[in-house]
Amino acid sequence: MRPDDRKYLETHEWAKVTGDIALIGLTDFAIHELCSGNEGDLVYCDLPETGRTLEVGETFGEIESVKAVADLSSPVEGEVIEVNEAIEDHLEILSSDPWEQGWMVKIKLTKKSMDHLIDAETYESMLAKQS
Amino acid sequence: MVEPTEGSRGERTWRRITTWDAPPGFNMGLDEALLESDESPPTLRLYTWNPATLSLGYFQRFADVPGTERAQVVVRRITGGGAIHHANELTFSLTTGLDDPLYRGPIAASYRRVHGAIVRALGRLGIEAGLRGETALASDREGTGMCFHASTALDLVWNERKGVGSAQRRRNGRVLHHGSIKLGTTPLEGDIATVGERATPAQVCEMADALENELAETLGLVFEAGVPTAAERVLAHELGTRFLDPAFLRRR
Repeated sequence: MRPDDRKYLETHEWAKVTGDIALIGLTDFAIHELCSGNEGDLVYCDLPETGRTLEVGETFGEIESVKAVADLSSPVEGEVIEVNEAIEDHLEILSSDPWEQGWMVKIKLTKKSMDHLIDAETYESMLAKQS
Repeated sequence: MVEPTEGSRGERTWRRITTWDAPPGFNMGLDEALLESDESPPTLRLYTWNPATLSLGYFQRFADVPGTERAQVVVRRITGGGAIHHANELTFSLTTGLDDPLYRGPIAASYRRVHGAIVRALGRLGIEAGLRGETALASDREGTGMCFHASTALDLVWNERKGVGSAQRRRNGRVLHHGSIKLGTTPLEGDIATVGERATPAQVCEMADALENELAETLGLVFEAGVPTAAERVLAHELGTRFLDPAFLRRR
């Protein structure tokens, strides 16, 4: 079971909200799809500058594996106030700890409702249907 | 070489769009338009370029590809990987939803499905190709930034050299899969695997027919000849100018 302390987009980004701040990351499922368990297959991750404002569903970054480039979609609305700089030089973090150390951006929310996102149980059900 | 596994089967209808000798901005713009539009049906494009064009991978540094100094036209793709000189080749793209059985699951599995069909298509032309596997290739070389001079286990090879380049872009639940099948060498891609000496119109058509037939038979697809819709053409035109824009070309 994926962590139930956060909510998910169908495109595999997660948002963990504390007060008016959200941490955003990418699920283990998406990372595994990109690199099939071989963390060396991840080659690049492009994340936004701080200060950028994001709408729900807006592309905030891109991640490249050996064979594919995937867009990263924002699950929330708000302003990017911090970027996890460690990821650029240590992409293996995304594989080893996608839920905590592998957060990508920190966002100050301008809209706190997360009703548009799905919970862990629904996300699991979605993955089960896809496999 | 490694045998690719069988593809997933099932009768599914795809559109096939054929555009020979199309301009580079149109080629890249239409592929992105097909990726962007949820209303576009699953589509196979078979195409060639006029003029011959060097395309950079999305994340490549312009300065890391010496061939940019010799190429007549340079664009930047939205798919990743290395640079490709689109001359003497058949280019194809597959665009569909990520819920399509062809692209469901790990990316590596989707490559095995598509490459299985390409292996059989090449077989129709007398080429015995297979996945590279763990062996380095005679065509691998450093410093060119060219796709055909770098290889992975999933690449298709014959004569111990890479002969098919491929890359995917995944966005908003959809996928664009680019591929280049080399029919002859180019000045920027020496010592690679090719189907023949050069890409005559007859050879391009022969390769295109073989690829379409094997994608149909191996993957259980039915292709219907089609053209871009008016909305796709408008979007392709809007998006197409970006690919030759100096700011986009030199974004890295």
